[in-house]
Amino acid sequence: MINFSYLVFIIKSAFFDFSRNKVRTILTSLGILIGVFSVVLLMALGLGLKKYIEQQFQSLGQNLLMVLPGQGFSQNGGQGLIGGIQFDEKDVLKIKRLKNVQAIAPFFTKTLKIEYKNKSQITTLLATTGDAFKVIKVEAARGSLFTNADNEKSAKAVILGAEIANKLFGSGEKAVGEAVRIQKERFIVKGVLKKTGGGALGSETDMRAIIPFRSSYFLNPDKKFFAIYTEAKDAKSVLTLKDDIKKTLLKRYNEDDFTVSESSELLNTINSIFSVLNLVLVAIAAISLVVGGIGIMNIMYVSVTERIKEIGIRRAIGARKFDILYQFLSESVILSLFGGFLGLFFAGLIVLAVQRLFPAYLDFGSVFLALGVSSAIGIVFGVFPAKKAADLSPIDAIRYE
Amino acid sequence: MLILENVWKEYVLDQETKFAALKNIDLTIKDGEFSSIIGPSGSGKSTLMHIIGLLDKPTKGKISFSGKDISRLDDNQTSTLRNEFVGFVFQQFNLINKLSILENIVLPAIYARKQLNFDPRQKAIRLMQQFGIAGKENSYPNKISGGQQQRVAIARALIMEPQLILADEPTGNLDTKSGEGIINLLSELNSKEKITVVVVTHDRHIAAKTKRVIKIIDGEIHK
Ligand SMILES: Nc1ncnc2c1ncn2[C@@H]1O[C@H](COP(=O)(O)OP(=O)(O)O)[C@@H](O)[C@H]1O
Ligand SMILES: [Mg+2]
Repeated sequence: MINFSYLVFIIKSAFFDFSRNKVRTILTSLGILIGVFSVVLLMALGLGLKKYIEQQFQSLGQNLLMVLPGQGFSQNGGQGLIGGIQFDEKDVLKIKRLKNVQAIAPFFTKTLKIEYKNKSQITTLLATTGDAFKVIKVEAARGSLFTNADNEKSAKAVILGAEIANKLFGSGEKAVGEAVRIQKERFIVKGVLKKTGGGALGSETDMRAIIPFRSSYFLNPDKKFFAIYTEAKDAKSVLTLKDDIKKTLLKRYNEDDFTVSESSELLNTINSIFSVLNLVLVAIAAISLVVGGIGIMNIMYVSVTERIKEIGIRRAIGARKFDILYQFLSESVILSLFGGFLGLFFAGLIVLAVQRLFPAYLDFGSVFLALGVSSAIGIVFGVFPAKKAADLSPIDAIRYE
Repeated sequence: MLILENVWKEYVLDQETKFAALKNIDLTIKDGEFSSIIGPSGSGKSTLMHIIGLLDKPTKGKISFSGKDISRLDDNQTSTLRNEFVGFVFQQFNLINKLSILENIVLPAIYARKQLNFDPRQKAIRLMQQFGIAGKENSYPNKISGGQQQRVAIARALIMEPQLILADEPTGNLDTKSGEGIINLLSELNSKEKITVVVVTHDRHIAAKTKRVIKIIDGEIHK
């Protein structure tokens, strides 16, 4: 029914009308442009956020189990971390003796000042074991990392993040072997970490100072830990170890006092929180698409009124209602798709621009959705004006002046 | 070819008043005729022509085309008949200004539903040569003279090889000389290509050039 030359003709005449009303066409498409732009951009950022979180988790060991106080991350987001219990060395030792434990790292943290000569920096100090470096996968750029043995000896050694080393010493190279003061106590810089920009310890990794926990008791007189990270021997033993840890801790604590979660569990929780958040944002942005659609509808009504005579001529030479409907519907779809393409294009530009800072990306789904939704808007909001044009009586249309 | 029996066209002006633009029209137009409908302004000539050309529907009465009753066809069927059997020529030319001359002429072919046994573009170019407007293919209607525009309109009316040409005051917007050219052209189409032609006019000189003159006054045919 619809042959190729018919299609070409319809599209050509649509473009002719657009080029005659350039300003109007651009203003009309602008609504759709903004709508598609914001929806696509938010989707790209959402996808990027998801990817970013996954990247961060990849730096955590695959077979990692996190023992956290309260409800952990698993239910109310991070809320459960507040309150709850703190763990002690006895818990650490008991877990260490369980089967299938490959590595264990208790964590104590405190925000304090670290000084070198007359310079000082605020850092969130981390006290843990040598195993921690395996669990959280960080490596030394200069010097070396402290070991479990250093911890047993209560060695006064400190590992600095790349950035804090730079700030205190000017470069990582100069830091190794130097003495810094942590609340009057002298610590020797044993190593400087590679720059991470993120990783398992969050964005502050590069500003961290890490010391053996046995050397941290002057800061932590109660000898308490806020979390214990454990790596299972292999993927198969993760769940067994999880059960064993639970059983062990239940002897001392109530079920609600602590949580043992796998890293994948945590990843899923965080992902689902951000997915919901992103969906809400995208839904809000989609409102502008509806506004854009109404703009198209408005202009299409104007266009029908302006072209009553033309419709009459076309009807006189044999165009059916369908032909007229099709002509106006094509115009609204082209108008909307034009806005959609531009919106996609600009969103793409922004995505490219931020990609160096943040792994935002467009997938096939968002491109498809953007173009699909703009065509759909063109059809939905174009069908009423097009129907009006098609339903004009041929005689009234051709007599119209 | 075309028979109108007891055809009425009434317009409802308000709740009480009706106005009959056509009253009890009985008219037969035979195959190959060259006739004119003449009458003063407002007498119902255009209304009659629109009804003959299936652009408008009568309030009452029967119209048959080649023996078939066509007064109760639906919109798709009348559109198809307009496309295939009728060619309109209007006083104001009624070309689409944003389309090129060539595109205007082939436009009816775009809406054709049947398989065409000719190439519309080639045919359009041939008609343009025949009508002395060759070379204007890519020009636009508002760039050529009125006489040329009316020739384009006639070419458009002919592109689908219709059996009937209906021309509503085709010379009304033209000077005498170009008007004469248009009437001669229509006359030639009738004599050489055996196309049935009906010309609406209020000009007796033009009516005199046709083989049959139908007089209409106040919506009624005068014998
Ligand atoms: N849509 C309409 N509503 C009311 N009256 C109309 C309408 N169309 C035409 N008429 C009237 O019908 C009469 C015939 O009109 P028309 O056929 O155009 O006359 P002509 O072509 O002979 O000048 C006129 O009086 C005109 O005012
Ligand atoms: Mg008239």
